[in-house]
Amino acid sequence: MTRAPWIGAAALSASIVLSALGQLGMKAGMQNLKLARAGGEIAWSALSTPPLRDAVFFTTAGLVAYGLSLLAWLAVLVRYRLSYAYPLLALSYVLVYAGATQWPALAEVPTPQRTIGTLLILAGVALASLTGGRASR
Amino acid sequence: MSNLLLLLAVVLLSTSQVLQKVGAARRLAGKQKPSEWIAALFSPELLTAIVCIVAGTALWLAVLYRMDVSRAFPFLSLTTVLVMAASRFLLGEPVSWHRWAGVLLIAGGIALVAST
Repeated sequence: MTRAPWIGAAALSASIVLSALGQLGMKAGMQNLKLARAGGEIAWSALSTPPLRDAVFFTTAGLVAYGLSLLAWLAVLVRYRLSYAYPLLALSYVLVYAGATQWPALAEVPTPQRTIGTLLILAGVALASLTGGRASR
Repeated sequence: MSNLLLLLAVVLLSTSQVLQKVGAARRLAGKQKPSEWIAALFSPELLTAIVCIVAGTALWLAVLYRMDVSRAFPFLSLTTVLVMAASRFLLGEPVSWHRWAGVLLIAGGIALVAST
């Protein structure tokens, strides 16, 4: 695939970012669902008010982002070896960790150990995919 | 229980990656038109890949319901180990030593995050 190398790079970036957005959206959705259920039985009328409405919105948005990331990913797999491309997807862990701790809707508490673990994963990704050539199929 | 669901999700998602790669190589290479892509999505390889990823994702949602995403998400990089092994032994891709070393680092990072 010498024709348009930027397509591969664009598809990879899109997969990484959309996959992180998808995870954060699904988590926000599940969190709101938990809130909605904490108030007892869920009635259909509750769909128009925040916890359940937000649960539906975030879960749907998360699934859409996830679906789009899968399509972008197929475009990646046409161009690159699986063993080269797959470790790069782990870059979305960093985005998820940053989003989960910085986005007020989730407000997860960062701990030094999780931060170090996440950085270690990043180092592993760098070693696995940023060395040894691009390895198109 | 959450850990068991997480493990099953990891296996399904890894299987899906291998099937997606096989499907992309066999059915999508050289295809440009959206209609060709849609037809390819219904090939046995990609259809099975989609079933695996949908089942894995459903399990994943069940896990997210009861666990912090920053804790659960790195577990998914266990799939990195499985996918790397499958790339080498099922797909026959050459895997260099730094690629394996990178996978070990990733596994170390997972262990660290998961033990909190």
